[in-house]
Amino acid sequence: MQEPSERGSRASRVGVFVCHCGTNIAGTVDVCRLVEYAGTLPGVALAREYKYMCSDPGQELIQQEIREHGLDRVVVAACSPCLHEKTFRTATAKGGLNAYHFQMVNIREHDSWVHEDKDAALEKAKDLVRAAVRRVRLHQALETKRASINPDVLVVGGGIAGIHAALTLANAGKHVYLVEREPTIGGHMAKFDKTFPTLDCAACILTPKMTAVKAHPNITLWTLSEVTRVEGYVGNYQVNVTRKPRYVLEDLCVGCLECIEACVYQQAKVLDEFNLGLGKRKPIYIPFPQAVPLLVVIDPETCIEFKSHKCKKTCVEICGERNAIDFEQQDRTETIEVGTIILGTGFKVFDARRIPYYGYGTYPNVYTSLELERLVNASGPTGGEVVLRDGRTPKSVGIIHCVGSRDAHTNRYCSRVCCMYSLKLAHLIKEKTEADVYNFYIDMRTPGKGFEEFYNRVAEEGLKLVRGKVADVYPEGNGDGRLVLQVEDTLLGMVRKVPVDMVVLSVGLEAQADAQEVRRMFNITCAGEGFFLERHPKLAPVNTFTDGIFLAGCCQSPKDIPDTVAQAGAAAAEALALIDAGSIEMEPNTAYVLEEVCSGCKTCIPMCPYSAISFLEDKKKAEINEVLCKGCGTCVAACPSGSIRQNLFEDEEIFEEIEGVLTYA
Amino acid sequence: MGTETTLVSEAPCEITLENFLEFPEGRKVLSCIQCGLCAGTCPYGDVMDYPPRRIIAMLRAGMLEKVFHSESLLNCVACYACMAKCPRDIRLTEVLLPLVKEEIFVHLPEVPPELQKALQNTLRYGNPMGESPRKRVAWTKTTDVPIPILGEMSRPVDVLWFVECYTSYHPRGQDNSRALAKIFNGLGIDFAILGNEEKCAGECARLVGEAGLFGTLQDYTMTLFRRYEGRFNRIVTSGAHAYDAFRYQYPALGFDYQVDHTMPFLFQHLEQLKPMLSRKLNYRVTYHDACCLGRHNGFYEEPRALLTAIPGVKLVEMTHNRINSICCGGGGGGMWLDTYYKAKGYERLSERRVKEAVATGADVLAISCPYEVSRFEDAAKVLGYDNKLVVRDISELLAEAMQS
Repeated sequence: MQEPSERGSRASRVGVFVCHCGTNIAGTVDVCRLVEYAGTLPGVALAREYKYMCSDPGQELIQQEIREHGLDRVVVAACSPCLHEKTFRTATAKGGLNAYHFQMVNIREHDSWVHEDKDAALEKAKDLVRAAVRRVRLHQALETKRASINPDVLVVGGGIAGIHAALTLANAGKHVYLVEREPTIGGHMAKFDKTFPTLDCAACILTPKMTAVKAHPNITLWTLSEVTRVEGYVGNYQVNVTRKPRYVLEDLCVGCLECIEACVYQQAKVLDEFNLGLGKRKPIYIPFPQAVPLLVVIDPETCIEFKSHKCKKTCVEICGERNAIDFEQQDRTETIEVGTIILGTGFKVFDARRIPYYGYGTYPNVYTSLELERLVNASGPTGGEVVLRDGRTPKSVGIIHCVGSRDAHTNRYCSRVCCMYSLKLAHLIKEKTEADVYNFYIDMRTPGKGFEEFYNRVAEEGLKLVRGKVADVYPEGNGDGRLVLQVEDTLLGMVRKVPVDMVVLSVGLEAQADAQEVRRMFNITCAGEGFFLERHPKLAPVNTFTDGIFLAGCCQSPKDIPDTVAQAGAAAAEALALIDAGSIEMEPNTAYVLEEVCSGCKTCIPMCPYSAISFLEDKKKAEINEVLCKGCGTCVAACPSGSIRQNLFEDEEIFEEIEGVLTYA
Repeated sequence: MGTETTLVSEAPCEITLENFLEFPEGRKVLSCIQCGLCAGTCPYGDVMDYPPRRIIAMLRAGMLEKVFHSESLLNCVACYACMAKCPRDIRLTEVLLPLVKEEIFVHLPEVPPELQKALQNTLRYGNPMGESPRKRVAWTKTTDVPIPILGEMSRPVDVLWFVECYTSYHPRGQDNSRALAKIFNGLGIDFAILGNEEKCAGECARLVGEAGLFGTLQDYTMTLFRRYEGRFNRIVTSGAHAYDAFRYQYPALGFDYQVDHTMPFLFQHLEQLKPMLSRKLNYRVTYHDACCLGRHNGFYEEPRALLTAIPGVKLVEMTHNRINSICCGGGGGGMWLDTYYKAKGYERLSERRVKEAVATGADVLAISCPYEVSRFEDAAKVLGYDNKLVVRDISELLAEAMQS
């Protein structure tokens, strides 16, 4: 680290390279005039333009010009540094300069793409280039450091996304911690009956993978557990996992389920969460027969022992010598170290009560699609019988698509899976009840392998398709409990009133209720609609803006099982790429403390989001851990004495840049 | 009247069907997904040749002219149901439908006489029933409390009470005004009315497509407000339609007063009101959400909170309530189209609504919009329910619950 006063004078042989980006930039900004202008700037030895600067010949051009013209600094005016800063730093380094003797100017996203006035766009490009040239002349040589990557991986969420990612990594020989909030893994998929478009049974394809997770020597499975703290950085994360009490000791319970039978509650009386309240369970229970781990769990809210401490504890009695029940169990926190993290935290279904005119929660025979999944499922509360709450078999069923999707009042986006699952439910209901099934849709969206064929097949089974968004659901006046669906059949151009016995609302997918807290904990970003934001929608779909943290499944956006599994595989591959590289290059734009100026006021310490600053008690000075520092600049701005500085963001560099952009040329 | 010309020239460029797509609220029709929710929820959707969905489709296909020659939109009662539910948030009742309606009336061989009379009356007398403008304050002679008139006062007041037409002239509307006077007095509200100077706020003329008439009334009322500038702080009205016009249409002419409908206004005074409601009313009450108040302005819970504050009142809900409420049929000119609808053989919406109210077992149908009392009382009579169900404005119920 050098003192500002010791720094060398301004470099004087800057090369400016302007990219056309096809017509992306050149269509709006007059590249030739920009180059002409750049050539006149003080310290600029040469200015060139090229159609695609990021191409091999473009990069070659930069290297060649550095060598031939003895350039000492490089400015590239092109797209966003998010895309190509690395490319051009590498080219600069290959040309023989320090990679940080480089500055990038974004004249695409910040200029040509957002302006229509070509003259003004050119002036803006000139200002930006001038600022960069002035700044780069002060740039110091910096060295990148490398951080090692811990090969262990944390996977958060035990749905199909987390399961697939965990198994992929474990099969590659990596140790995986799989953390699930619920008592069992399986997620939403475990609740489904059949899966579209092939109609294979969800349990039949999911449970082997669940069992494999349990049996895998490389997977540590923690259910009833939540991540409560994340610290560190790519390759070296420290994570706290809080494990909630199951009141049953995992290593002693053998899953015989005799305690459930023996519970003092003869009848199951508690609404069963797994069946969305359509069935009942006892206070000691397993969520469903194929739960993994197959361990009973006690619900302290309803167990008599927790309420009165006077229960006969017949469960403990029957457990006998196995002694697996422990009413005293408490929260435990495990601290683990991992190098990479995959979030597969899933989604929640849209709360249909938010659309009052569909009558969910008012009329008992209005169901959500997820409730229907449980009703058609052989392991569900009715043993797979599609019956109304009073036990009757419906003779007619209306399925309403797009409930909580494509609607400015709820969610604007299409939830992507509802058309297909609605067709699947229509088929299953018809198969089980021979009822007339109506599907009320706006547009039938079936883009996927075998999807349109499935639509065709179900249509030919005699499905009654009505194109129109249902406007109103109300009971038929005659008191027989039937519900009328009022809708304009837009293809017939007439309003129809269709009486049915059962209404199914095809609810959309939403971000989890706690997505914002999770986002903050993992230091990632949410998009507007609440789902976690990927680093790039096309080219980095499973990466986040935080290195080493990847996304899989519906926590990123609504998607079906095939896409979820594909994304989970991709996230595992991204983690593996980091792990197998063994180490990662760290940006050198870290902050550092000028010890002699630091007054030891400690203002900076609580400000640091990465806990990278510590206080040296002996010297009474702050110290920044270079490895932990992410270069956010918060401490630099906060330091009252100006004693914290930042590589690549030195005061002189920033002031020079500001003056550059503000100087009227 | 000196400020009138300035007012007009200051008004922003008016939205028309020609320049429709240049406005953000107009461009929204381009995003219509033709889902038909508007037609499905429309209380007359089953008898309209061109429900909103088809109007948008015709507009986008450049075939709107065809719609102008149909009578279809005469069935639009401006109830905001289509707009409240539209998944693309298209400003149907606010913007598109009045513009199309205006064209339809231009092309209509004969405007239904009942409606024509009401519009002519409004232009000539400032009220649709054709009553003498000099008798607008007549009702104030029948109250127990004095009703100050702003023009006759030298000091400013807090609240300008904009009474509106039906509540000034109709015998049952006057009941509402007398009740309000009692409540205001009890709450110690410092108020005055405009008296005989007041004219219809014009909202229904606009939603009938009579933009010209609306403009005339609007200019008149704005001039009046300007004349009394500084003499009142805010406006309160029991006219749900007047409230709507003041809130959404008048600001374009520079109207910037705080305006409240009596329901949210009294709700703000609920804690003060509660101890005054000492008489127990053992009524089973169902509440009809007025379109302007509920769907257009989101006041669903305030009227209910006022009702349930009355000791003894048991509130029951109709099948269609809140956003799903069924219009009384009086909006958008429907008030004066009953004969026309009858001739066409359409069910009167007020009758549809009264049937729902009776089905709840309620003995009182509570309302909050002055159009409704005569409509529902008439419907109850036609259906033979007039001995089962009484129609009362919430203000009337509140006043009844106050020991006099």
